[in-house]
Amino acid sequence: MSKNLRITNDKFIDQTSRISFKFDGKTLYGFKGDTLASALLANNIHLVGRSFKYHRPRGIMTCGSEEPNAIVQVGNDASMTEPNTRATEIELYEGLVASSQNCWPSVNFDVGAVNNFFSPLIPAAFYYKTFMWPASFWEKYEYFIRKSAGLGRSPTEPDKDFYDHRYLHCDVLVIGGGISGIIAAKTAAQNNLNTVLIDDKNKLGGTTLFQQNECFKINNTYSSEWLKKEIESLNLLQNLTIKTRTTLAAYHSYNYLLARENLTDHLSLSEKQNKVRQRLWKIRAKKVIISTGAMERPLIFNNNDRPGIILSSSIKKYIDYFGVKCGQKLSLFTNNDSAYETAVSLNKSGVTVNSVIDIRDKTDSLIVRQAERLGIKIYWKHTVVNTSGYKRINSIDIMKLSDDGNEVVGKKFSEDCDCLGISGGWTPRVHLFTQSGGKLKFKDKDNVFLPDKSELEQISIGSCNGDFELDSIIKNSVESINKFLNINNNDYKNLEIVCSKELDKKNIWLLPSDKPLGKTKPFLDFQNDSTASDVKLALREGFKSIEHVKRYTTTGMGTDQGKLSNMHALGIIAETAGVKMGELGTTTFRPPYTPLTFGTIVGRNVGEFFDIIRKTPIHDWHEENKAEFENVGQWKRAWYYPKKNESMHEAVQRESKAARDSAGMLDASTLGKIDIQGSDASEFLNRVYTNAWSKLEIGKCRYGLMLNEDGMVYDDGVTTRLGENHYIMTTTTGGAANVLSKLEDYLQTEWPELDVYLTSVTDQYATVSICGPNSKKILSKVIPDLDLSDKEFPHMSFKNASINNVKCRVMRISFTGEHSYEINIQSSYGKSVWEKCFEAGKEFNITPYGTETMHLLRAEKGFIITGQDTDGTMTPVDLQMDWIISKKKYDFIGKRSLYRSDTIRDDRKQLVGLITDDPKEVLEEGAQIVSETNKQPVEMLGHVTSSYFSPNLNKSIALAVVKNGKKLKGHKMFVPMKNKTINVTITDTVFLDKDNKRLNA
Amino acid sequence: MFLINCPYCGERDQSEFSAGGEAHIIRPKQPTELSDDQWAEFLFMRKNIKGVQLERWNHAHGCRKWFNMVRDTSNDKIHAVYKMGEKPPIK
Amino acid sequence: MLNYNSPINDQKEYSEIRITEVEPIIKLNLRGKKRDFMTKIGKELSIIPPSDPNTSSGNEKFNILWLSPDEWILYSNDKSDLNNTNFLEEKLFNEVSKSKIGSITNVSDHWTMLNIKGKNTFDLLSTGCPFNFNDFKNTKGAVAQTLVNHIDVIIHNKDLNNLNLFVRRSFANHLWSWLNDSSRFF
Repeated sequence: MSKNLRITNDKFIDQTSRISFKFDGKTLYGFKGDTLASALLANNIHLVGRSFKYHRPRGIMTCGSEEPNAIVQVGNDASMTEPNTRATEIELYEGLVASSQNCWPSVNFDVGAVNNFFSPLIPAAFYYKTFMWPASFWEKYEYFIRKSAGLGRSPTEPDKDFYDHRYLHCDVLVIGGGISGIIAAKTAAQNNLNTVLIDDKNKLGGTTLFQQNECFKINNTYSSEWLKKEIESLNLLQNLTIKTRTTLAAYHSYNYLLARENLTDHLSLSEKQNKVRQRLWKIRAKKVIISTGAMERPLIFNNNDRPGIILSSSIKKYIDYFGVKCGQKLSLFTNNDSAYETAVSLNKSGVTVNSVIDIRDKTDSLIVRQAERLGIKIYWKHTVVNTSGYKRINSIDIMKLSDDGNEVVGKKFSEDCDCLGISGGWTPRVHLFTQSGGKLKFKDKDNVFLPDKSELEQISIGSCNGDFELDSIIKNSVESINKFLNINNNDYKNLEIVCSKELDKKNIWLLPSDKPLGKTKPFLDFQNDSTASDVKLALREGFKSIEHVKRYTTTGMGTDQGKLSNMHALGIIAETAGVKMGELGTTTFRPPYTPLTFGTIVGRNVGEFFDIIRKTPIHDWHEENKAEFENVGQWKRAWYYPKKNESMHEAVQRESKAARDSAGMLDASTLGKIDIQGSDASEFLNRVYTNAWSKLEIGKCRYGLMLNEDGMVYDDGVTTRLGENHYIMTTTTGGAANVLSKLEDYLQTEWPELDVYLTSVTDQYATVSICGPNSKKILSKVIPDLDLSDKEFPHMSFKNASINNVKCRVMRISFTGEHSYEINIQSSYGKSVWEKCFEAGKEFNITPYGTETMHLLRAEKGFIITGQDTDGTMTPVDLQMDWIISKKKYDFIGKRSLYRSDTIRDDRKQLVGLITDDPKEVLEEGAQIVSETNKQPVEMLGHVTSSYFSPNLNKSIALAVVKNGKKLKGHKMFVPMKNKTINVTITDTVFLDKDNKRLNA
Repeated sequence: MFLINCPYCGERDQSEFSAGGEAHIIRPKQPTELSDDQWAEFLFMRKNIKGVQLERWNHAHGCRKWFNMVRDTSNDKIHAVYKMGEKPPIK
Repeated sequence: MLNYNSPINDQKEYSEIRITEVEPIIKLNLRGKKRDFMTKIGKELSIIPPSDPNTSSGNEKFNILWLSPDEWILYSNDKSDLNNTNFLEEKLFNEVSKSKIGSITNVSDHWTMLNIKGKNTFDLLSTGCPFNFNDFKNTKGAVAQTLVNHIDVIIHNKDLNNLNLFVRRSFANHLWSWLNDSSRFF
């Protein structure tokens, strides 16, 4: 640490606790409370990066989130490194490792810097124009451009840090803990409003916190002293939550806001362990008070981007807050009064101030007089026309401005300096206001955009609302707060406020030089290297809209989103185009305000919490028995149960054969189940299913097909009549929630006259399905007192029963075509009943099978799976299921659509079976079907929807949808694949047991 | 993210709701008597207004009730909510 | 004998948080619009289903939570045996459903009940729940149906920092993991 750059100042920085850190491989020291930027400056390091296009050396320019240059890579761990962080916002901690970005091989010697010498050849949109042709070359260009562009490195391994989310509801949210934010938070909390105050810094107080100047006093003390007491008084307020290190990222409609809290980034590596690193607060506030302050603008002049050129107010913060001198010999260049505050602060700390160069005519405010009294040289009506020094500024050229400010006159003279403070006035931070949908207005006098109209419960106060003088900030803020919260707080009424008032203003967006514009480099957007000349070029080339100019020149498109550059770009465009700034509009300010890490965005929804997992009551058994699982919606379903060394194909073949040869069992608990009660239950089913329900006897089951109003198949399942007015409906696993919601919709909106109640019972019951020729014998062992004779308990019927005194419902229904039963029992006994069935079935080699075997078995029988064989464009007629459409019913959902001109076309795609000429050849699901092989282009007639090798038929079978397929039975078709063409024949959809003998076997 | 005032449960976060398209489209009582064109009008034709629009919403993760909403699609302002079967309170 | 298996069967303690699965208890879904329905339930259980949204009614044996203008969930305070459930369900089913004044559905195993206790209870919920608990937490008996980490839940405020949370059984494991994971950071 260069000792002579630190002054003794232990108010904010603990100068007794030294911290070591590494920058670009070099070990350096700072103090607790430093930012990386202040520590680097204290080590006399200004050069921290290279610019994006020309690779010009760039230095720290600000002290906050608007920093365009000092963006660094933090950390070198493959899982934890983070690119594009602002050195001005990184709090120093023991063990911090940071490095420059966008330079190779090093920030001091950068190969890309040759671009600077070619810069006349690299104007705006150079990349767009040059690398356009030939189009096929782009990939080659891109490789080199990307390599030299270098916007930091991404981590290559999963992030080890924790991030989480929290919801927060409050009456009042105050954004920004400067003087007006503190007044707002205190006032709100004192009036029993549940208040939250957030600030992105680690301490509240904004810039007033370190304001120790005679010209700014409240009640006869420095404004900072007064504010300190106010901040202390906040601690006593019960209703107030203060969150520092918290940045408001996004402000959405209905006062829904996202804020990122930094919890551990300032802690040493060992203290960070096992803590949440960053937290995303999802805030819903009844009222929002924006007090985000303003940021200083740079001035736009030739070579205004050299390391050592820093915003004047930032120099003040570095000296007054961090105790760091940004140089030994400083010059200041300004168009307003605030640079004089910096001059006074520097002077008081013993730093030489060469001069203040002010573009205004002589002005006489309090603060200017104070500077004059201290003997600081002021050049009125002068401008800086050039700067020198490659890696650090070493001198400036100064000239007098003409009366109209359009050109420079007189003799050029130089001044040596190692740091130049610049101040182009202040820009209110209206980003959040506009994010929330607020409209801006332009105030000519101050050349600022200010909040105008908003639909939300919000106000902007303080300098983000255009108040820049201490007295007006307090007076207007208090007035606005009182009105907004509908209270009458007189605490701040009788304050004695002394403050310097700015008497004169002058603004020149692009300062003149003794050289023509083409020969100068007045940078606008420091991060993206766009200059005033680029913007003018864009205008000459015909771009008029600010949004177009932005994209063409990339002004304002960096990670800083043009926080510093936008106003000047607008100003220069307006001037050049001869329009008023207010008429030009602004570019859109989009969230997030500062970049968010992906970790913060996803929170804990990583790894096991990436998506929700639903488990059946029998899940543990499947796991214990080594099942492979398949995701079906959010469910984990047993897919197949491989025995040792078995492949999936082998396991499925074994399971499928066992189910038909003797017995198989399936966990069908995921099927949607809806309990239907009410005196109109039968009528309701008549209206929602295509077939008739009124005559279904109690104790009987029926398969139903549900359509959308457009006539397309939506869902299917078996519904059982449990009692006179009581049914239980099953839906597909994936369709359960949607079906219930759709049925509720009809009941609540179209048929409120029906007395029907729907209750989801999907999770109430575990469903154990036993199928196969031995299923009856097994069930009779599990429920000995149940009469299983075909007469008493025929196919498509149900019985109430009990197993060891636990009630259950047994349905004799079949999705495999085998003699089959489903036991529905309350979920808590599901696993136990499953185990009981497994035990009872052991002598019959009962084989648990998963969803893959289930799909195969039903395909052998030609049963559809909605969502696999249908895709929302298939009518029941297309599925060759005409038998299920009641001709007698006057109406049901989708009926009218079944005879629209489009749905009665003959050449619709229809469900058919496919048999391959080579019985061993299994088709790929999704494969296209054509009728000719030697024509190009050839019409795609349809595609394969389900395809398996059937062990029971010992051949390949498939279901497919084919244009006009019903009439093509027996026709040869072709399935062209990458390396071959497969010959197939269209068949019936039922491949096995066409007369359903097995159901009663 | 809207804050929606469910007519039954009160103000809730938008994530508890699902949107159901244009409101006040009544399912014809006698679909069989409609021409293809008339049925298509009911089935497919929806307004998509920039400005104040009447919409159906469902408090899917709350009381499961459907209701109607008057919303300005240009600025997302919800002017009113009302129960099914009720007339829009403002237009 | 069949074995009873609840999805969690566990209790965990963290800093000012205790999460417990409370099973088995009776849970019945009650639906009805008519006045007869209210009177019948009132007569059978000595509790009137509440008609105010987001509230509950109860006595030492049962609670009835408002779910919608025509829907409630009833649950028992004590762990109960199977026979009780069957008896109550059948009795109410006969009185209500068979009399065509509403519906009664057994949802004892459809929902899993977790009890969450301790000063950090509501902060824990705020990790994944958009509901505004500011008034709720001071209102004994308040009821909310909402989402926690995108999973539907019913929350019943029993007492200061003591609530019962109902989650559908198939989601219970996942939500349990989520709550335990989040609790680590308090």
